[in-house]
Amino acid sequence: MTWTWFHRLASPPYAYALAARLTPWFAWPAALLILGGLWGGLVLAPPDYQQGEGFRIIYVHAPSAWMSLMVYTTMAIAAAVGLIWRIKVAHAVAASCAPIGASFTFAALVTGALWGEPMWGTYWEWDPRLTSELVLLFLYLGYMGLRAGIEDPQRADRASAVLAVVGVVNVPIIHYSVTWWNSLHQAPSVMRLGKPHMPATMLVPLLMMLLGFTLFFVALLLVRLRGEILSRERSASWIREVVRA
Amino acid sequence: MKEFLDMGGYALYVWPAYAVTLTVVVLNIVWARRALTRSRAEARRRLIAQGELQ
Repeated sequence: MTWTWFHRLASPPYAYALAARLTPWFAWPAALLILGGLWGGLVLAPPDYQQGEGFRIIYVHAPSAWMSLMVYTTMAIAAAVGLIWRIKVAHAVAASCAPIGASFTFAALVTGALWGEPMWGTYWEWDPRLTSELVLLFLYLGYMGLRAGIEDPQRADRASAVLAVVGVVNVPIIHYSVTWWNSLHQAPSVMRLGKPHMPATMLVPLLMMLLGFTLFFVALLLVRLRGEILSRERSASWIREVVRA
Repeated sequence: MKEFLDMGGYALYVWPAYAVTLTVVVLNIVWARRALTRSRAEARRRLIAQGELQ
């Protein structure tokens, strides 16, 4: 096994060019999957036997919640790589993740509240799942605030990376909160051992949405990453070619 | 169509949930592009200030 690919990815001009080239390959499949998933989820899937048409919130709530955790995990791994190997591009990846993750955590909380009111009779409860997801939002906001508050980019990268890495303990807490504690929130329907608790007409649109959102995240990350790389490269000659266009 | 929009009586919950998510999706596209444009403009300004670019 060679590590040349890793070293090449760590090179800012290479990462910049690769990100630009890869973006449409994630953006377009994401758009198609999300449109297909919406059609399947809103039109083709049958109503739930308990929750009626109200269950259709799952097609926006579960992907948003999945994003909130997956983006944070990506951010923490990138931050750790940046800390350990002192790679600028890795820090740039971590910094790119935060606003995306924060916005989808917000979406997960709001769509969850809109699902909770008709099904549980309350928009909000200080329940383990809901509270730990709110903590996740504060972790993202804290990360972004910390970055914004430190002028020197390298110090901002390192300090925020420590926060991102420490905060990752919250991710398994959120995921297992419905199993470990008595929660209002329903147990996982898809990410569980054994078969998912859903017929295929319900499940396929959900999987399309989950995959579509994931590819959408990669596309967003690639666009943001280019900006973060540019702002970290002070006087490299390759930038001249990029900004001239 | 009316039946579809009514969402079995859950319209007040289902549609706002979709609207919020769609807004977050669209805003992410706008924000990501704006961030890149801004960084590019800043890099350009920096290079011009350093006399490395006309």
